[in-house]
Amino acid sequence: MEHLMQLEFLFAGFAVFWAGIFVYLLLLQGRLRALQREVDRLEERLAEAETAAAPRPTPRP
Amino acid sequence: MNSISGALRTVYGWWWLVLPPVSGVAVMAMIIGALVVAPREIVEGEVQRLLYIHFPSILAAYGAFAVVAVASVVVLWRRDMRWDAVARGAATVGVLFTGLTLATGALWGKPVWGTYWTWDARLTSTLVLFLIYAAYLLARAMADELDEAAARFAAVFAILGALDIPLVMFSVTWWRTLHPQPIVLRPGGNPAMPPEMLLVLLIAFLGIGALAVWLTVLRSEAEWLAKRTAALRAVADRYEGA
Repeated sequence: MEHLMQLEFLFAGFAVFWAGIFVYLLLLQGRLRALQREVDRLEERLAEAETAAAPRPTPRP
Repeated sequence: MNSISGALRTVYGWWWLVLPPVSGVAVMAMIIGALVVAPREIVEGEVQRLLYIHFPSILAAYGAFAVVAVASVVVLWRRDMRWDAVARGAATVGVLFTGLTLATGALWGKPVWGTYWTWDARLTSTLVLFLIYAAYLLARAMADELDEAAARFAAVFAILGALDIPLVMFSVTWWRTLHPQPIVLRPGGNPAMPPEMLLVLLIAFLGIGALAVWLTVLRSEAEWLAKRTAALRAVADRYEGA
């Protein structure tokens, strides 16, 4: 009985350890995705700003 | 300084080739070694196998906090915000591994000591270490990415926080604690464990150490990317406002 209880704690310890690493990686992935979205938004803003700043072609007479 | 930066970039490139496979293979070997190969400890029984994740985890945390302290010194010395990103990245990994050490220690303590937690010197000083760097991360998260004064204040805090590391390490020799005395890194003595256990423990050091370095590299890169993105956003805001 005591042997089984020890195995439960051993299993719980390993499970907690790998769950912690897994959650950390998920959070890191979430942060990288948020940064990627931010970079995409900035690229769009820059493209719009460049389009607005570009000189318009003058109509020929 | 440029040659140092070049060398660091070369090492960084190598890390990407070396760290993921080394971490993966060593961690798999560590799991098999801990659960199958290592002999059963005669007094504590099966639960003693938690040693192979518990002890390397706190060593990984010490290493990560040492990186935080060194990077914080460079932040104060050179005012280079890239090192602030390194400090933040390493601090998250240090907090992660300290938390895992406390959790696995609690699960080890219950069947052996009869309690998940006790306010002894080793456990309490480790909890304090966890809280110090959790507070550091919270303070950095609340400040603006580009706030250099906040980075410098945080660097001072991180350096002072590192003073808790020797307190944790030597707490079992300075005070009477429920936590056992060192069995591997004993002052002036050989490790007090059979060679099979020691071999598995060395593999666990390699696996968890490589994992910690890899996570630190990934997280530091994410932090640096966040800073650069914030700087670009500020430029775009100014450009559109003009």
